[in-house]
Amino acid sequence: MQVKGIDFYWNPILETLPRDKLKALQFKKFKRIVKWGYEKSKLYRRIYDEAGFHPEDVKTWEDISKVPMIQKSDYRDAQAKEPWPYGDSLCVPLEEVTEYHQTSGTTGQPVYQPDTWQDWELLNEMWAYIIYAQGFRNTDRVFIPFGYNVFIAYWQGHYACEKVGCEVVPGGILNTEERLLKIKELKATALMATPTYVLTMADTCRNKLKINPHDLGIKKILCAGEPGANVPSTKARMEKAWNAKVYDHVGGTECGGWSYECVCQPGGVHVNEALCMAELVDIETGEPIEEPNKPGKLIMTLFDRLAQPTIRFDSKDVGMWGEDCECGRTFRVLKGGLHGRIDHITKVKGVLFSPVSVEEVVRGMPELGDEYELIVSKKGDADVITLKVELSPGTSATPEMVQQELSRQLRLKTNLAYKIEFHEYGSLPRYEVKARRFKDLRKK
Amino acid sequence: MITAEVNLKEMSELIAEIREKVEHLMKISGGMQCVDRNCERILASVKMLELNISDVVEFLD
Repeated sequence: MQVKGIDFYWNPILETLPRDKLKALQFKKFKRIVKWGYEKSKLYRRIYDEAGFHPEDVKTWEDISKVPMIQKSDYRDAQAKEPWPYGDSLCVPLEEVTEYHQTSGTTGQPVYQPDTWQDWELLNEMWAYIIYAQGFRNTDRVFIPFGYNVFIAYWQGHYACEKVGCEVVPGGILNTEERLLKIKELKATALMATPTYVLTMADTCRNKLKINPHDLGIKKILCAGEPGANVPSTKARMEKAWNAKVYDHVGGTECGGWSYECVCQPGGVHVNEALCMAELVDIETGEPIEEPNKPGKLIMTLFDRLAQPTIRFDSKDVGMWGEDCECGRTFRVLKGGLHGRIDHITKVKGVLFSPVSVEEVVRGMPELGDEYELIVSKKGDADVITLKVELSPGTSATPEMVQQELSRQLRLKTNLAYKIEFHEYGSLPRYEVKARRFKDLRKK
Repeated sequence: MITAEVNLKEMSELIAEIREKVEHLMKISGGMQCVDRNCERILASVKMLELNISDVVEFLD
């Protein structure tokens, strides 16, 4: 691992800080935000008091795990009361809040997320780390094919572009064809989108506009919202479709853009350990995991977000540590980005099953289209997994020819058998933001 | 780690001076919103400089 030049990094000091110094910096910041939460938030104070915890109990690094975790439901339960709508989760006077966002509510009532202007600057700063590491510069014209709204997605992408000096084109109001034509007209050089939409745009470009996406001149694509950019077969499909480099990042409403893939594409994402802390813990025991290649649950802390802090937030995201990256950053790498959510990793026929592994197989077969759907149901006492796929347009393969190989690869990858259905190309649902391809109908 | 090419201590001192001056500007604004609100924004940017530079100085040799 060799440190590159000063302009290779957004922050060449923090991103290459030796691990012992980085850990010392993190510990100082961690204690600062825990104290803030306890003193300013009725929610955190209640949780800490009920657990018999006081911020002064954090004396060593090992004490970090003694700090009670916070759940999404804790925020939700503390909200929808005065000061409206943030209730007991708010840590600053309401008049200092300048930004409102909310979670998507896929796991229940949405959580309201207030931010002060300084918080907002912080979130944009985190995104500046992301896009700079992915090679976005002031020579780029970045097209964002989404409307920004109550959800946090892409707001920070937009403002980070401004911060880095890129020219940013908000393409929200347009439809897919209009967006593609605008990219062509303006000669945009970079794009931000979900993996699903990156593939949908390429498909529309080829099949409706009869334009090869390569001719649009997009050189790099930042992906968000779904794990696809770190699923090797999905990444390969996107890079091939656009003749562009595709980079992943992981973030969210509660935690901001806390990780990023860099131009070296290490097969994972760096955690921005200068501005936040990711603890990986065993899903069953809660014991910290430090070694590579062992999956665990991520507990997230954002050090300096003040209006509604994120302190040891139980993200329910699954990840695993990887090896060091050649880029010279000392920020650890989460191998493969996120591997899904705990609530999506479920037992099917007694076997632990992650839907992301199915995506890797489907997208790895050129005879299949980009879309698929995965449904787990019950027939009597038995679990049944139905996989719906489409054949690629123009393929000479028949469903019978593909089915055998698909079943074989799925069996190898997941150790499970599937009921495979072939659907007409274009008939499975298409998504723009977060795709919902996995449905577990047993959970009723 | 890249530290030889920049004087972080000097940068950190300058950042502290900027904060002091902006806070002083707010004190003497007489409550003029065009001054106070823009100063708030400057201070948020100053905070980013502190997070990027000042916070780490004490951990460097």
